[in-house]
Amino acid sequence: MRRAIRNYFVFLGRCLRIAFVGDWRYYAWIGLLSVICLLGLNAYCRQFAHGLIVTGMSDEVSWGVYIANFTFLVGVAAAAVMMVIPVYIYKNEDLHDLVIFGELLAVAAILMCLAFVTVDLGRPDRFWHLIPGIGQFNFPKSMLSWDVIVLNGYLLLNVHICGYLLYCRYRKTKPGKWFYIPFVFIAIVWAVSIHTVTAFLYVGLGGRPFWNSSIVGPRFLASAFTAGPALIILAMQVVRRVTSSPSPGADALAVGNASVAPSKRRAATLEDFALLTRYLPEIGSVPMETRQQLLPMAEVLEVQPGGVLLRQGKIEDRAFFILRGCVVVKREEGGRFRITRTAGPGEQIGEITALNATPRTATAFAEEPSLVLSLSADALRLLMKSPQVNKIVRSRMSERLLITDRALMTLRSIVQVSMLINVFLLANEVFKEFYSGNLHVVSSKYLFVGLRHHHALVPWIWTAIAFNLVAMVLLVLPLSRSLKWLNLTCILCVVGIWIEKGMGLVVPGFIPTPLGEIMEYSPSLNETLVCFGIWSFGLLCYTIFLRMSVPILQGRLCRDNEGVSNHSVAAAPLPG
Amino acid sequence: MGRRSFLRTSAVLATGLAALAASLKPLLEMNDFPTMERFLQKYYKEMTPQDMARVLKRIEDETEKQYGLRPHVRDLKPVDGVEFVYCLNLTRCIGCRKCVHACVAENNESRDPEIQYIRVLRLPDGSLDIDKADHFYSPDSVPEKGYFYMPVQCQQCKNPPCVKVCPVHATWQENDGITVIDYDWCIGCRYCEAACPYWARRFNFTKPSIPKERLNPDMSYLGNRPRRQGVMEKCHFCIQRTRVGRYPACVEVCPAGARKFGNILDPNSEVSYILRSKRVFIQLKEEMGTSPRFFYYFDV
Repeated sequence: MRRAIRNYFVFLGRCLRIAFVGDWRYYAWIGLLSVICLLGLNAYCRQFAHGLIVTGMSDEVSWGVYIANFTFLVGVAAAAVMMVIPVYIYKNEDLHDLVIFGELLAVAAILMCLAFVTVDLGRPDRFWHLIPGIGQFNFPKSMLSWDVIVLNGYLLLNVHICGYLLYCRYRKTKPGKWFYIPFVFIAIVWAVSIHTVTAFLYVGLGGRPFWNSSIVGPRFLASAFTAGPALIILAMQVVRRVTSSPSPGADALAVGNASVAPSKRRAATLEDFALLTRYLPEIGSVPMETRQQLLPMAEVLEVQPGGVLLRQGKIEDRAFFILRGCVVVKREEGGRFRITRTAGPGEQIGEITALNATPRTATAFAEEPSLVLSLSADALRLLMKSPQVNKIVRSRMSERLLITDRALMTLRSIVQVSMLINVFLLANEVFKEFYSGNLHVVSSKYLFVGLRHHHALVPWIWTAIAFNLVAMVLLVLPLSRSLKWLNLTCILCVVGIWIEKGMGLVVPGFIPTPLGEIMEYSPSLNETLVCFGIWSFGLLCYTIFLRMSVPILQGRLCRDNEGVSNHSVAAAPLPG
Repeated sequence: MGRRSFLRTSAVLATGLAALAASLKPLLEMNDFPTMERFLQKYYKEMTPQDMARVLKRIEDETEKQYGLRPHVRDLKPVDGVEFVYCLNLTRCIGCRKCVHACVAENNESRDPEIQYIRVLRLPDGSLDIDKADHFYSPDSVPEKGYFYMPVQCQQCKNPPCVKVCPVHATWQENDGITVIDYDWCIGCRYCEAACPYWARRFNFTKPSIPKERLNPDMSYLGNRPRRQGVMEKCHFCIQRTRVGRYPACVEVCPAGARKFGNILDPNSEVSYILRSKRVFIQLKEEMGTSPRFFYYFDV
C-alpha cells in the first residue's frame, strides 16, 4: 500500500515536472497565458475591492458576460461526452485516445465555469454558505444548487477517469474495467445533466418570457454538441502540429549527421508502378488512366547508403514508397538519434506530413542502395482515391498517429448533425416568437431587430446567425472534409454559438426589464479583462494537461524510464 | 543544479512573484475586509438569542464607527395573527414620487449609487401595458392630463419566485407575509433579481453611501440596517415600523391617500374593508401565479 502511494506520487511528481519542460515556443505560450492570467487577476482584485460596479452590469441587466461565458463553457464541458459515446458504446477505435483529450478539455472547461460563477458573485468570501452540510443549501428547490452539485460532480468524474486511464498507461497496465467503465457511463448521463440543469437555470424563471421556453434545454444541448467537438477538432490539430514538431536544433543536427541528397533522380514510368504492385497489391486496383495521370507528378530516386530522403522539421509535400532496398527512419531526441522503424519494399514514408502539411516528424536515411518512388501530395491523394489503397495507407498511418484524420472526420460528422439540429431549433424558436406576435416577443425583437431605437445586440446576433448558416452549409458539403475548410467551419461554429448562446441568450432576457424599461448592457474593460484572464487560465490548464498526457499516451513518459530526465522524454516528437 | 540554471530559475521565480504581487495590489484599496467574526457569522435562523445579541451589538458598533451616530438595531419577530397586505388606489396616485424619497430616507438606501425600492411608472390612460410605461417622466407639475401613475415595489408574493431560486436560503417569507433578506448571508449571485417578475430587487454593486446626517438610527436586522457591498436588498414593508404597529414610510407620506396598509387577518382593518368592498383589483402579472399581497384598485 505504502509502495503504491509512493509510486503514485512519483507519477504525479514527474507529470508536474514535465509541465515545466518544453522548447522556447512552449515557454513563450505559457508565459503569454500567465501574463494575461495575471492581468485578469489584477482586474478581478479591483472588482473584489470596489464591487461589481466596475462591470457593465446594473439592476436592469444583472447578469452579463460572466454568465454568458459560463453558459457557453458548460456546453463545451458537456460535449466531451460526444467523444465518449462512439468509443465506449460503438467501439470506435479512432477516437480512443481523443477521449482523454476531450475529457481533459472538459476538466479545463469546468474549471473555467467555476471561475466565471465565482467572479460573478457579489460576496465571494461567503462561498462557504453554498457548501452542503456547512452552509444552507437550498436543494432541490434552487436550480443553482443543482448546478453546484452537477458541475462539481462532473469535475470529479472526469478527473477520476482521465487520471486513472493516464496512470494505467504510465504503468503500462491494463485499466481495470470496474474502475472506470461505470464512471464513463455515469459521466455520459451526467454530461447531459450539466447542460440541462444550466438551461433550467433560465427556463425556470417565469418572469422572463425570453428564457421561459421549453426549447431552451434542447437548444443548449444541440449547440453544445456543435461547439464542443468543433473546439476539440481545432485543439487536436494544434496538439498534432505542436507535438510533431522537432526540438530546437534538430534540423541542424540532422543535417550535420546526414550525407548529401540522393544521387540520381528520373521520371517515373508505368513499370515502376508495376514493381510497386508486387509488394503492395492494393496498387493493382488503381486504373491505368490514373497511373498515366500520376506519372508527371512522380519521380524515382536512387539513394546511396546514408543518403537522406527527408529531414525532421522540414515542411514538404512529398511522400515516398520504397521500391527496392531499405530505409531507416530515425527520430532525433535530446541530441540523440533513435531508430523508430525501418521500411522495406512496398512501404510508405512521409505520407503524414504530405497529407497534413505538418513538419516532418523524423529523418529518413537509406541503409542500403535503394530505389524510391516519390509522389507529390496531390499524386498521393489521387492514388488514395482507390478505396483499397486509401485503406492500407490510412491504416498504416494511423498506427503511428495519436490523432488521426479519421478521428477528426468522426468529430466532423458529430458537428454536422448537431449543427443541423441547432439551426432547426433556432428556426423553431424564431417562428414561435415572431409569428404569434404576442407581447412576449419584445426581448426577441430587441435581439433580432432592435426595440425603440435600442439595437446593441442586433449586429451580433446576425453575425452569429450568418456564421451558423455558413458553417451548416460547409458541413453539409464534402468541402469540409479537407482540413483547411474544416478548420474554418469549426471556427465559425464556435464563434457563432458563443455569441448566440452567450450574450445572445443572457442579455436579451433582461431587456426590457419586467417593468418595461430598456437599459442596454455592454461589458466594461475591467470585466473584459477578467474574462480574458479566465480564458487564459483555462487554456493554461489545458496546455499543461496536454503537456502531461501526450508523452504518457505516446509511451514516452512511463514507469520504465523513471530514471530518465524529463528533458529527453519531453523533447521527442510523435513517431513518424 | 548548476549555477547558471539556479540563477535562471530564481530570476524567473522572482519575476513571477513580483508580477503576482503587482496584480494583487488593488486589494489594498479595499475598505471593507471581512473580519473573521463576520466571515463566520451564523445564518439568521440558526442564531441563538445570545448570538443575535452579539451580532446586533457589533452592527451598532460598526455603524457608530462609520457614521458617528449610535443606532438602535433590533431583531423584530413577526407578530402572531398578523398578515400584512398593501392596497394602492390608482385613481388617487398623482405620481409625485414622495413615497420613493420617504422610502430612501427611512430605509437607509444608498444615495450614491442611487438605490430606490419604489419605481413609479407613468402610463397613458386606458392601458396597463407595462411596455408603454415611462420610468423617467419629469414634468413641471403632476398629475398630467392623459396619464395615470402606478408605483411598483416588492409585491410580497405568497408564492415568491425569488425565495425559490436562492441557492443559500438567504431570502425567505416570514409568517406575517414579508419576504426578508439576511444581508449577512446573501452571496450576491443575483439569481433572485433575475427571477423577480416585478423588478423589485436591488443589488449593492458597490459599498452603499449615505450622508452621516441622513442615517435613520431606528433599525432592524432584517430591515433597514446598513447593507454591505455585494448583497441584495428590497422593500420589506418597513419591518422596523410595521412590526411595532406603525405604518410604512410610503403610506405615511402619501399626500393623496392612495396607499393603504394593514392586517388582512383583522376583519376591521382598512385593507380588509377595501378588499371586501371594491369590485376589481389588479394583482400585477397575475398569470405568473405569484399571488402578490399588493393590490391595485380604483375608486368607483
